[in-house]
Amino acid sequence: MTTEKDKSPEAAENINLDGLAELASLVAAAQDALTDDMVTRMASAFSEGITLLDRLTRNEGLIHLLQELDRPENQRFLISLSNAFTAASRDIATAPPAKGGVVGLCKLGCNDGTQEGLRLVSLIAEHLSESMREMHRRGG
Amino acid sequence: MRILIVGGGTGGTIIANNLSRRLDSEIRNKTAKITMLSASELHMYQPGLLYVAFGQMMPDELYRKQATLLESSIEFHVDPVDKFELDRKEVTTKSGKTYGYDILVIATGSRVMPKKIPGLEEGSETFYTEAGAVSMFKKLREFEGGNVGIVVGVPHKCPIAPVEVTFSLHDYFKKRGIRDKVNIKYHYPINRIHSIENVAIWAKPEFDRMGVEYETLFNVDEVDVEKKIVKSMEGSEYKYDLLISIPEHHGMAVIEDNDLGRDGWIPTDRYQLTMEGHDNVYVVGDTTNLPVSKTGSAAHFEAEVISENIASIVKIGVPVTEYDGKVYCFIEAGHDKATYANFNYENPPDLRAANKSMHWFKMSYNKMYWTSVRGLL
Repeated sequence: MTTEKDKSPEAAENINLDGLAELASLVAAAQDALTDDMVTRMASAFSEGITLLDRLTRNEGLIHLLQELDRPENQRFLISLSNAFTAASRDIATAPPAKGGVVGLCKLGCNDGTQEGLRLVSLIAEHLSESMREMHRRGG
Repeated sequence: MRILIVGGGTGGTIIANNLSRRLDSEIRNKTAKITMLSASELHMYQPGLLYVAFGQMMPDELYRKQATLLESSIEFHVDPVDKFELDRKEVTTKSGKTYGYDILVIATGSRVMPKKIPGLEEGSETFYTEAGAVSMFKKLREFEGGNVGIVVGVPHKCPIAPVEVTFSLHDYFKKRGIRDKVNIKYHYPINRIHSIENVAIWAKPEFDRMGVEYETLFNVDEVDVEKKIVKSMEGSEYKYDLLISIPEHHGMAVIEDNDLGRDGWIPTDRYQLTMEGHDNVYVVGDTTNLPVSKTGSAAHFEAEVISENIASIVKIGVPVTEYDGKVYCFIEAGHDKATYANFNYENPPDLRAANKSMHWFKMSYNKMYWTSVRGLL
């Protein structure tokens, strides 16, 4: 809480001086703690970070992707995708190695899960190829 | 509009990237095109050579691939120009290809000319090339005491370098504990210790404090490599054990060979930065004959003006701004403190006391340079 006394010009000056002294001691501490190599490494990381950020923010494709990812259904899709990776990783660890051959392929094709998966992938591929064709039509 | 940039140093690279950003829509709709021709696939951070000479940086830290520094919309070729045909708006490269242009930017830089002084190349160490900087460090490392002379030719790249190398020599020998066995003597060609008056005023007491001797009006005439004596045109001599030279510079040979400017310096309008008599030809950095420092900083501020003007010519048909001679130079005052000189055509620099924060600023800039040439800073 600020009192009347704290608001006097002398008090304000003291606060300023205390602030400056604190800043000076912070700079002195940094000078003691840091070496030229540390400063150089930090500057390098900062420099590369800015460059990367510049490239990312001017990348039309990436910005569009981020806008699409703002949609709730796409966020749910990402969650599903990451869950699928986890489940697939677990399943592959316990499943016996594939024996190969046409019979094995037919068995896999008869699996309803495989059929669902193939349908999803082919749907994505269908929309992707439509979109790419449209982009080329517009001269992109 | 075809924009051709000859030279991939600091000035050329900043202009190319800056234009690529400013003319993004024109490049996309194919009404503007930027092409760069360079003599090398590598881009060197030249101020780093001074650090290599004192073992503070490794040579490989100074390089990046030029193609990685350029915006993807810039067409880049490693194919140095051989012939400028300004009347036909064409250049021909070493490979024999011809490139036409509507606007040309010449950013070919400068080179050291140690051979102009008999004995200078064989008798002295210099840090203006990678091999020279590495050799200088090895010589410094072996040095156990004696006379170290610094001699300076004019004009030369980075006017602050003679003072910086002197401070660094003092700190280097002090750190090795042999400063009392080393006499450092600084020789400068005019009648004060630096061409920029305020730098001379600032550096003199620093030299006195460090016990550095100095002699002015010392223009190197020859170096007697056998006797280890450097002689001046004014008649004085200095017996050295280790001689550090900052040789005279010229513009690149291609500029002299094409008669574009005496000693390779192109006559340039000091405000518009166009080649005299050619409004569609811009000159940047060391290549100009302007009375400003031949430094990356000058090239940077010139590049900002040139790219703004070229972009405005493409968009509205006229240039919009002028160069005021701005240069901002860091000055390393040894190995742990620095100051800076900020000046332009009208205002001389006002130097402050050196401190560690400015040294860190300079150390940081050594890395931030890559952000700078990409046109971001």
